[in-house]
Amino acid sequence: MTPPLILAAAEATSSYLPHILLGAYMLLLIGLCVVGYRKGKATEEDYYLAGRGQGVLVTSLTIMATMFSSAALLGIPGTVYRDGLAFVPFALNLTIGGIGIYFLGSRMHRLGKANGYVTPADLVGDYYGGNAVRLLAALTGALYVLPYVIMQIKAGGYLAERLFPDVPPIVFLGSEYDMFRAGVWALSFLTMAYVLIGGMRSVAWTDVIQGMLLLSGMLVAGLATVIYFQDKGGYFNAIAELPHEALSVPGATGKWNAWMMLSICTCASLGAIIQPGQWMRFYAARSVKTLRQSALVFAIILPFCFIFGIMLVALGARSEFPPEWREDPAKPEVAAVIYPHEELGPSPTDTDKAVIVMAQHTVPKVFGQTTGTLIVTLILIAVLAASMSTADSNLHALSAVLTRDVYDKYLRPEASEREKTWFGRVVIIVATIAAVIFVEIGNKAQGFNPLTLITQLMFLAIAFSSQLLPLAVDCLYLHKGTRKGAVAGLTIGILVVFLIGPFPELLFGKEATAGLTSFTDTLKDYIHTSAIGLFANAIIFAIVSCYTPKLPAEHIQKFRKLLKN
Amino acid sequence: MLAKILTAVFLIATFMGPGPGIYLVNPSAEADSPVTILGIPILYAWVAFWFFVQAVVVLIASKKLWEPHDEPEA
Repeated sequence: MTPPLILAAAEATSSYLPHILLGAYMLLLIGLCVVGYRKGKATEEDYYLAGRGQGVLVTSLTIMATMFSSAALLGIPGTVYRDGLAFVPFALNLTIGGIGIYFLGSRMHRLGKANGYVTPADLVGDYYGGNAVRLLAALTGALYVLPYVIMQIKAGGYLAERLFPDVPPIVFLGSEYDMFRAGVWALSFLTMAYVLIGGMRSVAWTDVIQGMLLLSGMLVAGLATVIYFQDKGGYFNAIAELPHEALSVPGATGKWNAWMMLSICTCASLGAIIQPGQWMRFYAARSVKTLRQSALVFAIILPFCFIFGIMLVALGARSEFPPEWREDPAKPEVAAVIYPHEELGPSPTDTDKAVIVMAQHTVPKVFGQTTGTLIVTLILIAVLAASMSTADSNLHALSAVLTRDVYDKYLRPEASEREKTWFGRVVIIVATIAAVIFVEIGNKAQGFNPLTLITQLMFLAIAFSSQLLPLAVDCLYLHKGTRKGAVAGLTIGILVVFLIGPFPELLFGKEATAGLTSFTDTLKDYIHTSAIGLFANAIIFAIVSCYTPKLPAEHIQKFRKLLKN
Repeated sequence: MLAKILTAVFLIATFMGPGPGIYLVNPSAEADSPVTILGIPILYAWVAFWFFVQAVVVLIASKKLWEPHDEPEA
């Protein structure tokens, strides 16, 4: 072949490369789904915990992939893009999370193995007894899952927009679907399909692929960004030229003061680790050794990929595509808000696209057109993978929670294994459709829409799951709490998160809730929502436990013995 | 004793890295306030340093304190 033909062939190939790679990735997921289905057994334990036999590679990657969703490649770097270096310390929450995996996860594993637990509510419900604790724990799990799934689906929409920018809207059953909507629906239904069919095995194996894509995507994107800036006087020289607001605490929006960051890195970190999906992964691990090794990988590799990978991309994007302060017609009460550079998009929430835009801008220039297109596509698939890995884990966990803690315990205790597994599948379908509807509504909403940013959804979800932390610490270490204390603490914690979240304003309007919002906003300037809920929960738990009947000593002793073993 | 030392070092790193310790190096708004150290933005270098401290603590703890408690795999 003569050089011009080679170039023409390369150019033709590179223009179809995204479609080929995306198609290959989807086929791989379907393949893993089929294998998972064939290897699985029609039992609750196998569908939800893959027989409790997952080794260190699968456990560590599935924990990482579940933890870091579209937030890892969109939301968090989007916040670094908007606020600058003040948000970089967020990466240190992962070392704390890793320690949580060992200290909490290993004990959860021991109890889960000994007593056949499948869900978080199995453990806390069995320890404290009664129905209220179990149902509240199940509710907490559900409140975590829905915002997290919505977040991932939105990411699917963003990706489709960037992967297929020139594709006209698709008309289906009389409705027009632009690429955002098409991406939302496609990601949702593909994820739903392999969770439905393959259960935990498919979820975990796809997480392995997705975790590897996620980690490598973060590092490659970071490397490309640093190399790109070499011709512009060096990466750190460019970053040092950023405005002062981007180089100092509390950041451009003034949100990330040190106390806020400390409360996120401690409370929110541990709250994220005990989300239902992770809790089930602790049960599903082969042994405590597996969890110890996974904790090590999580505590070191993941923050490394953030600090020396994806956050470098976000800072580079701020230098290359600087945002600006402008008035927001949707928020007339605020003097100005940060708008991203027009290359990212017209809306303030388009800051979440910083990594995608920067990767598409820098990688082809660094690695050449064809290789660059390949790498960019892999990075975009990594974002997709990150979203799908978290969506699948959360849908799967929600299915377990509602089947085991509600359907099995209260609605149909006599149901067969097969029936329970099918109920779980119905939950997955309904939850997926509900999440898509939420995204569609949010997409069309004019004016007030507080849950538009991916990180907002992430922090809200974590604030709910954090409420299980006092109970987990008590069950696993302290053994001082009582049933009524647990119920009171959990109830108060959930209520506090509702009150200080966006829900009062959403439900009752801005004017009616002005006083409450003013108070909670002041509180939230310094302490993260998860920490506020957690402190209220823990205080009430402790006080009520002091004045209510203790759990039987022999019951506590039984748990202590299992934990020692 | 090792557990206590590692716990203390980790807590200090947590306080210093993402916590109020960051104000020790936070660039002020004054024009002559340094924003870099050895060419690297100060806050970035600070976070990277405390990450390495935490990583070393976790590595030592995993090897010396946690590994002896591994149960034999079935």
